Amino acid sequence: MLTEVLVALLVGGLLYFLVQRSRTQVLRTEDGWWGAGAPPDGGEDITIRPFTVSTSAEELEDLYRRIDQTRPVPSLEDSHFTYGFNSQCLHTVLSYWRNGFDWRRQVDRLNQYPHFKTTIEGIDIHYLHVKPKTVPEGSTALPLIMVHGWPGSFYEFYGLIPLLTEPSDPSHLVFEVVCPSIPGYGFSEAPHKKGFDSVCAAHIFHKLMKRLGFQQFYAHGGDWGWLVTTNMAQLEPRSVRGLHVNFAPPSNPGLPITLSIMLGRRFPKLFGFTDLDIERLFPCMEKLVVESIKESGYMHIQATKPDTVGRGLNDSPAGLAAYILEKFSTWTSRDFRDLEDGGLTRKFSLDDLLTNVMIYWTSGCIVSSMRFYKENFGKGLYAPHSKIPVDVPTGFACFPNELMHTPKLWLKQKYRNLVAFTPMARGGHFAAMEEPQLMAEDIQNFTKIVEKKAL
Amino acid sequence: MWECTVVLLIGSAVAAGGILLAYIVHKRRQVKSIPLGEGWWGAGEKPLSEDDTIYPFKVQTSDKEIKDIHERIDRTRYTDPLEDSCFQYGFNSTYLKKVVSYWRNEFDWKKQVAVLNKFQHFKTKIEGLDVHFIHVRPPHRENQKVLPLMLVHGWPGSFYEFYKILPLLTENHDGVVFEVICPSIPGYGFSEAPHKQGFDSLAAARIFLTLMERLGFSKFYLQGGDWGSLITTNMAQMKPQCVKGLHLNMFISTKGFKVMFSLMIGPYLPFLVGFSREDVRRLFPFFEKNVWDILRETGYMHIQATKPDTAGCGVNDSPVGLAAYLLEKFSSWTDLRNRDLVDGGLERKFSLDDLLTNVMIYWTTGSIVSSMRFYKENFKSNPDNRVDAKTGIFVPTGLAAFPGELMHCPKTWAQIRYRNIYSYTFMPRGGHFAAFEEPQLLANDIVQFVKKVEEF
Repeated sequence: MLTEVLVALLVGGLLYFLVQRSRTQVLRTEDGWWGAGAPPDGGEDITIRPFTVSTSAEELEDLYRRIDQTRPVPSLEDSHFTYGFNSQCLHTVLSYWRNGFDWRRQVDRLNQYPHFKTTIEGIDIHYLHVKPKTVPEGSTALPLIMVHGWPGSFYEFYGLIPLLTEPSDPSHLVFEVVCPSIPGYGFSEAPHKKGFDSVCAAHIFHKLMKRLGFQQFYAHGGDWGWLVTTNMAQLEPRSVRGLHVNFAPPSNPGLPITLSIMLGRRFPKLFGFTDLDIERLFPCMEKLVVESIKESGYMHIQATKPDTVGRGLNDSPAGLAAYILEKFSTWTSRDFRDLEDGGLTRKFSLDDLLTNVMIYWTSGCIVSSMRFYKENFGKGLYAPHSKIPVDVPTGFACFPNELMHTPKLWLKQKYRNLVAFTPMARGGHFAAMEEPQLMAEDIQNFTKIVEKKAL
Repeated sequence: MWECTVVLLIGSAVAAGGILLAYIVHKRRQVKSIPLGEGWWGAGEKPLSEDDTIYPFKVQTSDKEIKDIHERIDRTRYTDPLEDSCFQYGFNSTYLKKVVSYWRNEFDWKKQVAVLNKFQHFKTKIEGLDVHFIHVRPPHRENQKVLPLMLVHGWPGSFYEFYKILPLLTENHDGVVFEVICPSIPGYGFSEAPHKQGFDSLAAARIFLTLMERLGFSKFYLQGGDWGSLITTNMAQMKPQCVKGLHLNMFISTKGFKVMFSLMIGPYLPFLVGFSREDVRRLFPFFEKNVWDILRETGYMHIQATKPDTAGCGVNDSPVGLAAYLLEKFSSWTDLRNRDLVDGGLERKFSLDDLLTNVMIYWTTGSIVSSMRFYKENFKSNPDNRVDAKTGIFVPTGLAAFPGELMHCPKTWAQIRYRNIYSYTFMPRGGHFAAFEEPQLLANDIVQFVKKVEEF
């Protein structure tokens, strides 16, 4: 009798577990209010206002004066980039910034795409909206939202946008692209209240897409953009036709992931590990733990004391540049730490790098950009969204020098509808900016797969 | 016959056991030291000979320096704090504006420089670096036992933290009086920063031992907190024969079985693991009090131990940035509850003049980056594997446990490494910057410890 009861319970439990797992879980959230003070009585202003990036002589003069007043500290002999941004390299960057960099020209470049602002939940949201010039007969442009991360901005996508809105290959799909700035970054207003995390950003971006008239759209993101777009897919799976990411560290390591770390080196085939997986993950103490500790100091201090660490950077262009560009060096390739110049200009032009820094400088958003870390990590690592799987069709572009390597097995724990996993030929963390061609191709391939499946 | 053999066997086993025990105890008591090592930290190649004169030094300023800082302060670009965030996100901007307003309009740097110069400053070259120190002789030396004492500061402090305690130490205490040396750690304040990689606390310890030798002291006392605690501990490990006594207001334990065991049993059976009631009160709940708070408060340590050049760059150009960065510690490390106050409780225990004088020492010397590098040099490799972590400290030690210190270390944990504890005092109040905040309390404890060692 007892055995029957036990077996029944076991079977029942298993069935429940399986049913529970397969049921699409949805992330819930509520409307927020992020403006200063209390929300106004009347409704919110929902107009969309065109926006132009502008500069002035005063702004430039102020910048140059501050650069001239940098108090440099020489790096230790032969330390290259191992102690952080090398002083010699900084001197070169500052010199160019002061004498060669043309901000006015870069502002024109920024304005080549139409910018807009609209108020959502009390704060001004900035975004680019790029419509394709021509769309092939009998088809429509596919709406695509692309979300940046830290210390990047919408500018990272400037090389990628034309490849998506005006592809040279006639067989390629055409996209209508929306690139917002996360609140607190660049030209988007910073939240005035505590608690603005990735789910809040995702909720606001859903409202934005609806306001622009899109019921269904594709989403792409890397760094924080990965989490915000993932949250969007979790909040409203019906709106997100497809999710494409190039960065996806596991948030909730369960049994399969733990087992693969313990046994993966011995039995790679069992976990579907490729040579690249083995190389990037093992020895795991060194590659996963030690490397992470070496590179996550910024994350630790930003997740605990953002107002303190950002303070000096908002007054010192040199400090801001060193802080931000150090990431563009180390996160593009770890080997760059051993180079005197940090390999900074091997994959990026100084013009592009400094334009990104200028977006942080002119908007004074470094502190609010850092607060996003505290808001997201402040609740501990186990927020509700980390336990909810993603069922919308997902594509992952696996770049070899990404900060954290995610093998297919790990991705599938969360992204249960993984329709594309592409090992990319080259590229690091800032993939969209570093390898726009490769990224565009992968987005194309992914979208084609999803569109075909939808038919 | 048979009983005889058994008795003989048991007897020899006991004897062998006894000998083994005695040997172990003897070995444990035996004073061990760590190697002195050597180093050279100047720029370029080491020259054939080094100048070892001691020359006087005066802190100076100029109108140009003051004008520059005023201009930079005026050009600060503030960011509004989040509503109701107090000091939880770091230094609150609204309160920062008040501090900066005082700094800009009322703080008198020239007056403070005169205050700094009321003690005599010197510099001397050791291992290629100009080492700065103040040397304070007691005013009345007749019929006194004048004991040499070195006080070593930490981060983000400086020799200036000791200015209030110095008069208390150089006055007579029933026949005991101190002659005090306060150096600046190389890379901090007026001491030259190392030009080569690898300058850790062992190097600093060796340099300070050379300094005492150069000043003619063969036996002396040491006192330290923060980095000063590690450096003075290293000094006592390198030349125990020179160190009459070591007094610390911050000390950490090594991990290990004893610590883990006492953490598990401590809350329930404290006496079993050597905890007093006060120990229990300060340690538990362990996770809440220690682990989470340590995680919340060690972001600065993590970034400074990995990317000091990046972290320090911006704060070397922005006086307000530097002030926020340093003063945040004077708020949180004095009392963690200060994080929930709008003004961070900063002026409850310190005057703005004192706080800003300390900041000005970092600012005028541009030493913030080199001060941060010290973290990387000490944490580069696993600190638990370093020779000093594996060696005990055998000189007479006095420990002052302040309640607001970042992590409480009960006597039983301290005894794992500090084998010769003469005094362990639960201080009634005070935080991390003990000498700055509670000079009288600290001075009293130092004096009572020294009297014990001198057998008064």
